[in-house]
This record gives sequence, C-alpha cells and structure tokens, in this order.
Amino acid sequence: MSRGGSVSLRNIVKRHGSLTVLKGVDLDIRPGEFFALLGPSGSGKTTTLRILAGLESHDAGNVILDGRDVTGSEPGERDVAMVFQSYALYPHMSVYENIAFPLRMVKTPNSEIDRAVRESASRVKIAHLLERRPGQLSGGQQQRCALARAIVRKPRLFLLDEPLSNLDAKLRLETRVELRKLQRALDVTAVYVTHDQEEAMTIADRLAVFMEGNIVQVGTPDEVFRRPVSIEVATFLGNPPMNLIPARLAGREVAIDGHRLQLEIDYGVEREVLLGVQPSRIDVGAEGIPAQVDLVEHLGDSVIVDLELGTTRVRAKLPERTRLSEGANVHLRFDASDVHLFDPQTGQRVTA
Amino acid sequence: MLFAPALVLLIVTTSAPLVYLLWTSLMRIDLTMPFLSGFAGAANYVKMGGDPRFWNSLLLTLIYTTTTVVLQVVLGLSLALLVMQIPRGQTVLRIAAILPIVLAPVVVGLFWRTLLLSPDFGLVDLVSHVLGFGSHAWLGDPQLALVSVIAIHTWQWTPFAFLVLLASLASLPPDVFEAARIDRANAWQRFRRITLPLLRPAIVIVVIMRTMIALSAFAAIFAATGGGPGTATEILNLYAYRTSFTEFNLGYGAALAVVLLAITLVISFLMFRMRRGR
Amino acid sequence: MKRSFARRFALAASAGMLLSVWGFPVLWALLTSFKTERDVLAYPPKIVFEPTLAAYRDVLFGASSIVPNLVSSIVLSLGATFLTLLVAVPAGYALARLELPAKRASGFYVLATQMLPPVGLIIPYYLVLQKVGLLDTYVGLIVIYLTFSLPFAIWLLVSYFEDIPREMEEAALLDRAGRFRTLWYVILPQVRGGIAVTTVFIFLNAWNEFLFAVVLGGNRVRPVTVAMFNFISVEQTRWASLAAGAMIAMGPVMLLGLIAQKHIVKGLTVGAVKGGGRR
Repeated sequence: MSRGGSVSLRNIVKRHGSLTVLKGVDLDIRPGEFFALLGPSGSGKTTTLRILAGLESHDAGNVILDGRDVTGSEPGERDVAMVFQSYALYPHMSVYENIAFPLRMVKTPNSEIDRAVRESASRVKIAHLLERRPGQLSGGQQQRCALARAIVRKPRLFLLDEPLSNLDAKLRLETRVELRKLQRALDVTAVYVTHDQEEAMTIADRLAVFMEGNIVQVGTPDEVFRRPVSIEVATFLGNPPMNLIPARLAGREVAIDGHRLQLEIDYGVEREVLLGVQPSRIDVGAEGIPAQVDLVEHLGDSVIVDLELGTTRVRAKLPERTRLSEGANVHLRFDASDVHLFDPQTGQRVTA
Repeated sequence: MLFAPALVLLIVTTSAPLVYLLWTSLMRIDLTMPFLSGFAGAANYVKMGGDPRFWNSLLLTLIYTTTTVVLQVVLGLSLALLVMQIPRGQTVLRIAAILPIVLAPVVVGLFWRTLLLSPDFGLVDLVSHVLGFGSHAWLGDPQLALVSVIAIHTWQWTPFAFLVLLASLASLPPDVFEAARIDRANAWQRFRRITLPLLRPAIVIVVIMRTMIALSAFAAIFAATGGGPGTATEILNLYAYRTSFTEFNLGYGAALAVVLLAITLVISFLMFRMRRGR
Repeated sequence: MKRSFARRFALAASAGMLLSVWGFPVLWALLTSFKTERDVLAYPPKIVFEPTLAAYRDVLFGASSIVPNLVSSIVLSLGATFLTLLVAVPAGYALARLELPAKRASGFYVLATQMLPPVGLIIPYYLVLQKVGLLDTYVGLIVIYLTFSLPFAIWLLVSYFEDIPREMEEAALLDRAGRFRTLWYVILPQVRGGIAVTTVFIFLNAWNEFLFAVVLGGNRVRPVTVAMFNFISVEQTRWASLAAGAMIAMGPVMLLGLIAQKHIVKGLTVGAVKGGGRR
C-alpha cells in the first residue's frame, strides 16, 4: 500500500441559494490518518465530505489529493471509496456482485476479481454471506458489505459518512473498534463524518470541529478536549459537556460568587468571564463554592449530580461510591489547571 | 441534457397544434366549397352563440359527464366496500373488473350496440323482457339512447373506480377502526366519520380523472349511436367531430373544439384548486 | 366475528353482481362468436348449441379478413410502444434527477397535456399531416401516437425513478461506472417493474386507439379498432362475425390484462395516488 493519500482542502466555499453552507474551509490531512469531521447537524461536515468525493460541486476553493488538484474531476476519477450512511448497496445483486462491482467497472480479470472479493469479504467477516442478497442481511452485515465494497479496490482515500448511525448501541461500539483496526491494517487515509463526539474522540487520530460552515478547531482528540478554543466547542464535547459559570477575572484571580481561586498565569486584565470546568474535574466536599444538589443520577460506574450554583446549573461527574441526597447543601472545588476562561460576548477563549 | 430534445418535441407537438387550432377556428374552411374559404374572425364563435345544436350538445355533455362520474364513484365505492369483506375470490373479481377496462372503447360501443342493446336479440333486451319490462329501442329512442350511452360508459369505467378505491381501502390503517369500535361507533358511523374522510383523497382523484375522460369520451358513443338518433347523444366532442369530418366545416368544427378545450381547462383548474384546498 | 346470513347473502349478491354485470357480457360475446348466424338470431336465445368456427373462419380468411388490420395494429402499437420507451426512459431518468425548478413546471405541463380532449388536437393534426403528405402512413400515425404516449410514459417513469435513492447512484459513480453504466447496471434493474407497468399501459392505449386512427389513417393504415365497423353495414349485421372479430381484435389486450393484472392495478393506483398530487 503506497503511502499516498494526503488530502488538502483550500478555502472551500459552497452556497446553496442564498445560504452559505461552507464559508471557507481549510484542511490538511496526512497520509494514513484517521481523521474525523465532527459537528452538529447542518454544520457542513457531510457537505465537505461529499465535496471531497466529488459528489457535490463547490463555488470556490480547491481540493488537492496527493498533490494533484482534483477540483474538476469526476467522482470516479479520484480513486476514492465511500461508505454511505444508508450503505447504498445494490439490492438486485448478490453480496459477491456488490463487492465485485467496482472491479468489474475497470475490467479487472475474473480470476483477480474472485481473489480480491473473497479477501475483502473475509477481512470484514462476511465471507459466508457472499451468495445472499442485501435484503437478506442484518444491519450490521449490510454495513460490512458496504465496507468490503469500499476496500476491495484499495483506494487511496476512504470516506465514511456516519456509517454507524443506523446500528444499535452495542453493535456501534464493537464496530467502531473494528473499523479502527481495519484502517490500521490497510494503512489507508480515512475521513470520517459523525455528530457523535464520543465516537470521534475514541476513533480518530485527529479531528476537525465544524460549526455553522466553518472549522473552528483542529487537533488530536486530547488537544481539542483539553483546550477547547471556544464555548461552542467546549459545550459540544464531553458527556456531560463542560460547565460554564459566570465569574469575574482580576489579574491572577478569578472569583465566583465571592469565592476566589488562584490561577496559574496572570491575565493582566479585569473583566467578566465565563469559567469552564469539566464535570469530571469537580470535587464535591466540605470546602469551596456553595451549591445545592438538585438531582442525582446513578449510571452504574459513575454518578452525575445536577447542582445549583447561585443561578447557574452545574453538573458534576463523581465516582460511583458517592452518596448525596437531593436538596443537600454541598461545596464544590476544582484545580486551577482545570479552569478554562471564555469571553461571554465572543465565546472565544481568553488568552493572557 | 437527455431531456431537452424530448421536452422540445413535447412542447412543440402539443402547443403548436393548439395554436393552429385557434387559428383555424378563426377561419372559414369549407372543403366542399373551397372558394368560400378565408379569414372569418370571430364569426364562428358568434354563430355558436346562436346555434341551438351547440347548446344542446353542451347540455348533453353536462348531463353525460356528471351522471357517469357520480355513478362510477358510487357504484365503485359500494362494490369496493362489499368486496373488502370477501377475503377469498378477490383474484376472480379483479379479473372481471379488469376486462372492461382493457377493451377498446370503440369495441365496447359496438358490443353494446349489437350484442346487448339490439331489440329482441340483445342480452339487455332479453333480460328486460324476462323481467317484464318488455322490449325497447334502447338506442333508437332519443331519451333511452342517452341513458344507454351513459350506461355503456359507466359499465366500462366503474371497474376503474372500483379497483382504485379497493386498493385505497385495503391500505387504510386498521387501528383507526379498532379505536372507533372501542369508542362504540357502529358500522354506519365508522363509515361516515372515518372511512369516508380517509378515502377522500382517493375519491377526489378518481373524480378528477374520470371527469377528464368523460369530457373527451368519443369512441364508445360514436360506435354505439354516432351521436344520434338525430342529436340525442351528440355531446360537444361529437358535434365538433361531425362538423369537421362529416360536414367538412373545419373552421366551425375548430371553434367548437376550442370551446371544449376551454371548458376542460377551466374544470380541471377548478378541480385541482379544490384538491389543493383540502 | 359472527357473520349473519343476511350479511353473507349481501356479500354473495354483490360479488355475483360484479361478476355477472362485468364479466358476463364478455362471456356472452365469446359464446356468440361460436354460433352460426342462424343460431344467433334464434329466439329465445340458445344457451346450448353446436359450436362452430365458421365465424372465425369468415373473419380471418373471408372476403373482408381482418388479418391485414391485425398487422396494422401490431405495427402501430409495437412501433409506438418501442419508440416511446426509447425516448421516455432516459428522459424520465434525466427529469427525475434534475434539480431545476423547471422540473415542477414541466411535470405539471406533462399532466396538462394528458387532459386535452383529442378532438381538439385532431383537426390541426389532420391538416398538418395532409400538408406534409403523411396521412395514412405508419410514420405519420406513429408520430402522432407518440404525442400522447410520451408525456404519459415520462410522467409514470419519473415517479419510478424518483423512488431510487440517490446514494445508490453516487456509490456507482464512485465505483467508476459512469453515467450510462450506472443507469444500465444499477438503476434499470430496479425500475424493471415500473417499466413493465408503463409498457403495458402504452401498448394498451395504442392498440385501443380509435379516433386518431380513423381520421388520420386510411386504406393502408387501418388497425382493428377501425376495421370493426366492417361487420356493420346498412344491409345486415353479421353478429357472429362481429363477435368473433371482437374476440380476435381484443384478444391481445385481454390476454395482456389477464397476465399483467397485478401490474395494471398497481399502475392505476400509482397513477391515482401520484396523479395531480405533485406539489
């Protein structure tokens, strides 16, 4: 497998009537990367994927694959394979014929087709289903068939449009892992669209967060999670998402309801901020900012506590052994290193 | 792309003749007396206003259309409701229903004229004799002739309404009826308040389609009566045809056709409006 | 659910009425076709009689045989059907995939053309064909037949094409099939049912056409629908021959109706559901 498969998007703009769906998207994906496009519905991530595939036109910008500008190329010419959300299997053909189809289209000799189809099918563990029709397969099996069809021609780029969203929860988790292993084994660049942030965080090498037609942050899951660049990103990630508490910043100190916390650096200004802290980073104990317990949810391996801090709702994720009763008055504490500061007006991270 | 030539062909072949028709209606074309041909302006239309035969055909068209459509819907619906209750034998009934629809209207007209409605030998006449109504000139008597052609049209096309409504009935969700039964609604109430409203879209479409066909019905009447006796069954359609091709008065015939066209367009427009309104 | 006797009776009566009123006349014609002319005129009518093929022989091999008319019908109907499909399938596909607002308008337009009374079109068609010298020719008539079968076929086919998910085509394009091969290998196999229904209706309409055939045809182009009038003349009506002629003339369509009855019913209901329902 050659080390091709680098992808670049330069300033992609797409308009749909009077609506601008993509407002200038720039992206660089390295060969062999598993790259996720994450964002809420309508944020432009699927459109971007389809533009990469050549299935949709765009109004400005360039698509560059392996150094070559393919902006005007037809989908068939780009050496790109795609797994659709609905799988898009050909219902009138057997599983074997479905997988063989891309090879037949380029007039591969039959012996070669047979070998490649059986190899792909066994990779995704559907070798025993080759004679069946898609209508006779379960959801998970159909998905594997779509995968097999995509990998059989060893493309340089592998696109996936929310391929797991039609599977039930348990199957989704299992398939996630398998997808990842498959991509590693094939050493092919993969671009993966999802709105499920947990999925993106676990499966991707790097990800791009889409919001309203723009990419607002790019990085490894760890980077994006630990240093979200804006309130939008911060509240999109994490389950439960990051808490936002109104606070007052003064130089090196930040105050919530009068309670002061020392920060790691001096910001040098005095201003209103929104203080962000992950639910898993909140300690509930005897000292700290007073709050009242509203609701306690036991999830089995953790406990989610809904708290009222002044007029703000705060959620904390605590160890399973925590015992709290609703209505109890408690105190909240967190470390300075877990604090994120955001501008209430712009939503952007506040920097020193 | 691929569609452009077909679309162009379509537009040309349907619009161009209409324009030509309009143009012709403004002319006086008399193939028997060519020296009288020439531009006549609105003379044909003026003539139409005072032509009793025209008004007769208009009235006949109205009677014919409304009667056949109403009959088709009522009969079709009744049959569909009853047949719904018979789980077995639906195939046989479906075949019986399809046969009239696939026959050529002209053959149906001839059929009825000869084999069914002939005095003494026709099936209908025989039955009427047996039932004590005696023998009649089904197509020879002006009033009976109109009844007969209405019957012919209804006979051929009721199965269409029947099949469509049967399919519609079969696709109605059963839980709504179960809920109604639990709410203690009896059969008539269930029919009036649930079945009928749910069937409304299908009924409306059947009415629209059958009305269009009834307005342009030609072959069956032509075969059965030719428009007669006299002008007893001469709907506007037939009047236009006779004028153009039997009397060779193409200008006037074109004008009549234009009026029929206008009526059809107005009615279809109104009907679609009614449909949207729902 | 208890079935009362009255209810069962009503049901049986309705089924019986359906069968007798709609099925019996055809049966009657069939019976008549096997009678001799004398038997036909017998009164009271003979239910039991000695069947004969005399009428059929007369109709097929007699002086005014309808065999050339059958040929006429076959040429006209097959020609019109084949050409219609040839144009309508790609056109329907293109229209179904088009994103233009013109799509709504053209769909509506197509529907409108179906509603024009033929009498309105026949006069200009007659005059035009006469000028171009195509009266009473197969070419002329097939072209005219196309004008009413094409819109109908396209309208039906568009709805079938639209039922195919777009993603399937996109998958095929990515698999390097190209537009034409996508249509051939992926799309067409799936609209086979729809194409079958469309073909049945187009053929039926063409075979049963009368007005256009009688006005625009003549001695050379004379399908069976026009030829039926041969059996009725001023002197006498040849009943058995008429019945036999009708049986032969309507044989193909009745056969088609029996074989394709599921298709036909589907087509009627699809047409009814989607007809006038395009917003």
